[in-house]
Amino acid sequence: MKKVSLLQTALAVSVLALACSPAFCGSLDAFKGEKGVLKISGGTAHIPVMKDVAQKVMAANPGIQITIAGGGSGVGIKQVGEGLVDIGNTGRKPSDDEISRYNLKLFRWAVDGVAPVVNPSNVVKKLTKNQLIDIFSGKIDNWKTLGGTDRKINLYTRDEASGTREVFWEKGLDKGAIAPSAHVVVSNGAMKSAVAQDPYGIGYVSVGHIDRTVAPVALDGVVPTIETVSKGTYKISRGLFSNTKGAPAGLKKKFIDFLYTPDGVKIIEQHGFIPSR
Amino acid sequence: MRRRILEKATVWFSWAAGLTLLASVAVLLCYLLAKGHEALSTGLIFGGTPPLRALLLQERVFDGLFPALAGTLLLIILSIAWAIPVGISTGIYLAEYADGRVKKALDAFFDVLAGIPSIVVGLFGFASAVFLHRHFSDRIGPCLLISSISLSFLVLPYLIRTTQAALEGIPGETRLTALALGATRVQNIFLVLIPRSLPGIMSGIVLAIGRCAEDTAVIMLTGAVASAGLPSSLLSQYEAVPFYIYYISSQYADPAELTSGYGASILLLMLCAVLFSAAYGIRKGLTHCTLYRA
Amino acid sequence: MKTVREIAAERTFLLSALASSSITVGILAFMVFMGLPLLHEGGFFAILGNAWDPYRGAYGIYPMIAGTAAVSLLGLAVAFPLSLGCSFLTAGIAPKPLRGVLRRFIELMTGIPTVIYGFVGIFLLVPIIREFFRDGSGMCVLTAALVLGVMISPTMTLFFRDAFDRIPRAYLNAADALGASRAQKLIHVMLPLAKKGMLNGVILALGRAVGDTLIALMLAGNSAQVPSSVMEPARTLTAHIALVIAADYESPEFRSIFACGVVLYLFTMALTFLVRYLAHGEDARI
Repeated sequence: MKKVSLLQTALAVSVLALACSPAFCGSLDAFKGEKGVLKISGGTAHIPVMKDVAQKVMAANPGIQITIAGGGSGVGIKQVGEGLVDIGNTGRKPSDDEISRYNLKLFRWAVDGVAPVVNPSNVVKKLTKNQLIDIFSGKIDNWKTLGGTDRKINLYTRDEASGTREVFWEKGLDKGAIAPSAHVVVSNGAMKSAVAQDPYGIGYVSVGHIDRTVAPVALDGVVPTIETVSKGTYKISRGLFSNTKGAPAGLKKKFIDFLYTPDGVKIIEQHGFIPSR
Repeated sequence: MRRRILEKATVWFSWAAGLTLLASVAVLLCYLLAKGHEALSTGLIFGGTPPLRALLLQERVFDGLFPALAGTLLLIILSIAWAIPVGISTGIYLAEYADGRVKKALDAFFDVLAGIPSIVVGLFGFASAVFLHRHFSDRIGPCLLISSISLSFLVLPYLIRTTQAALEGIPGETRLTALALGATRVQNIFLVLIPRSLPGIMSGIVLAIGRCAEDTAVIMLTGAVASAGLPSSLLSQYEAVPFYIYYISSQYADPAELTSGYGASILLLMLCAVLFSAAYGIRKGLTHCTLYRA
Repeated sequence: MKTVREIAAERTFLLSALASSSITVGILAFMVFMGLPLLHEGGFFAILGNAWDPYRGAYGIYPMIAGTAAVSLLGLAVAFPLSLGCSFLTAGIAPKPLRGVLRRFIELMTGIPTVIYGFVGIFLLVPIIREFFRDGSGMCVLTAALVLGVMISPTMTLFFRDAFDRIPRAYLNAADALGASRAQKLIHVMLPLAKKGMLNGVILALGRAVGDTLIALMLAGNSAQVPSSVMEPARTLTAHIALVIAADYESPEFRSIFACGVVLYLFTMALTFLVRYLAHGEDARI
């Protein structure tokens, strides 16, 4: 008998604690009484935001399980199209062909940029676009040419499913070739840690992911930051999308709606993206 | 004179090789311990959640290994549950019933099965999941169920071989005594032979558990994901310790996450060390022939 | 006169055996079934020989075959001397009390998860290789091969020990009677007699090296090119399967990883049969 009452007190206290926590009480109300599993996969730039939102939702609603996987934008589109996941994230706008084939509904909840990054110890922090193109095609293969140390340039690129790769290739490299000798990593997170560990590496990563472990490279004099992206002076920008097959309903809709609430917007800003209206 | 040099060289070479191998493993262990020892606490597993409340499923754990450990545990239990009945009965059939050509053919099948790389088993599991999803039910996809079935394929040869070896190792007199006293063949198997070969069978089971705990290639294709919480059903995706280590190795967000990766490595290493010593301890003469698969 | 229970039990055993052996066939059959469209288009061999460049519509796996060959053969070259030395140590060169301990330790080493080798490799070995050779990123064929070599050495050592243990006692006694030293016995008596068994060990270790995913995936750099030196990054067949996540099996990506799967399956199957053939010959001799 005593045990039960203890348990009840604990429960009451935790409910009280939740109710009193200032943030997230209003926006999370929508999830009350929801149950079930929500599967998310695709774009890797989205993962920190997705994880944060999922954590908030799951902490407040024990009946909800949200699973998050990466894979890249291409995988996100295919998996949501095949019905393997509920929400497929992309770091690029799905093509018209993809939209019509899978009957995708697009939700752009943030604007992001894609920035070339080097190790913070690298002295080369400015490049022209042509230099960038030559570096990635393998024409320039030593940092010495660019005023750095006499070491080989180690290229890092993403897998073919990556939306980040596609945006960077289109807007950053003007669809120039990427040398096949480039190391391949599978996510924005992995790109960041690879360049953070390699003093002679260069790669490209979502602007929202840049922290002090990697240094952004100014392109034609413009340093890629959240400000230059939102002002439009830094050109390699893109939207972050969450896509569903057909119009979303139930848990899917509530999850996506949450990204547009004040609390959702706050999370998006915290992770270095520009929330879109 | 030349011969003496050859002998000396052999001795030197052997010691050099042995010490190199031992040193590399020692460096590996020391490095892990040095980097990860500070992460070893209940916080590594439960994050900020009180352990008891987490274990009683009253509160969810977000910044700890608890969901990954639970996923790995469930995976082990399920895979072993699928593999044990089939593996042991197959071992019994091989040792007690099959002979001649049938035995030879089955032997060949299990040798091939033991040699298939685990990523190929994973690919098979993934392709079946997509196939089932498309043709049977929307609810099936890469998930705990598919992973555990694929893993059970992987460990089946261990169970078959250890059971078979244990049964075949029983001396002829023991084998015949019960039969001579009028026991039937099945009675003989269940009442005499299996009890006698339990240590061998157990060592196979423990090894299979070790394989399930450490395998990463199968689960990364069949349903392990970066973030899932506790799996809510057999058809949901899950987290697992080895996948967590792989994930952290390439995409840790901050030094704290990396440290917890080291901590997770130490945990997994200890788990495997315990299981493998147990397997070798249970049965001294355990053959490693079943172990060569990647 | 068999009772119903007898028959039922026997049937169950038989059924299990059939079920488990059908898994072996099932995996291959399923892969062939999924790959039929490929064969129809005559594309299977084209995939084996082509480069990987999806942006230009090339989905070949030739660079991955080359990468697998480079990493696993070099890994084998690292492992062979290590295993030979270790097996010598445990077979006679080390003092007696040490042998048992050493062997127990090597047995335990077979249980170290590969993901842990990869994890430590990234943070410890990669920077060392990068700064030691002052070339490239440190994620390369060499790094992966070194770690792979350490990973397969314990298994290889145990197989070598098996081969030594199978040598009939009489030969060893004869060598002892002639006053041979431990090293002499090893080189002149045991090594020639155990050759075939050791070859088995090497082949099985090769199978393990080719089939390993995590070490190459984490340490070899994964670039889809034919490596021109051991300092270059490369991608193995196994890593390719892990990297290219496909969601539908009509896509060319899926066919490519499927082709990797078939190549790996057939290759390891060939190795298995080679070992069986060799073992058969050995049985006949003794």
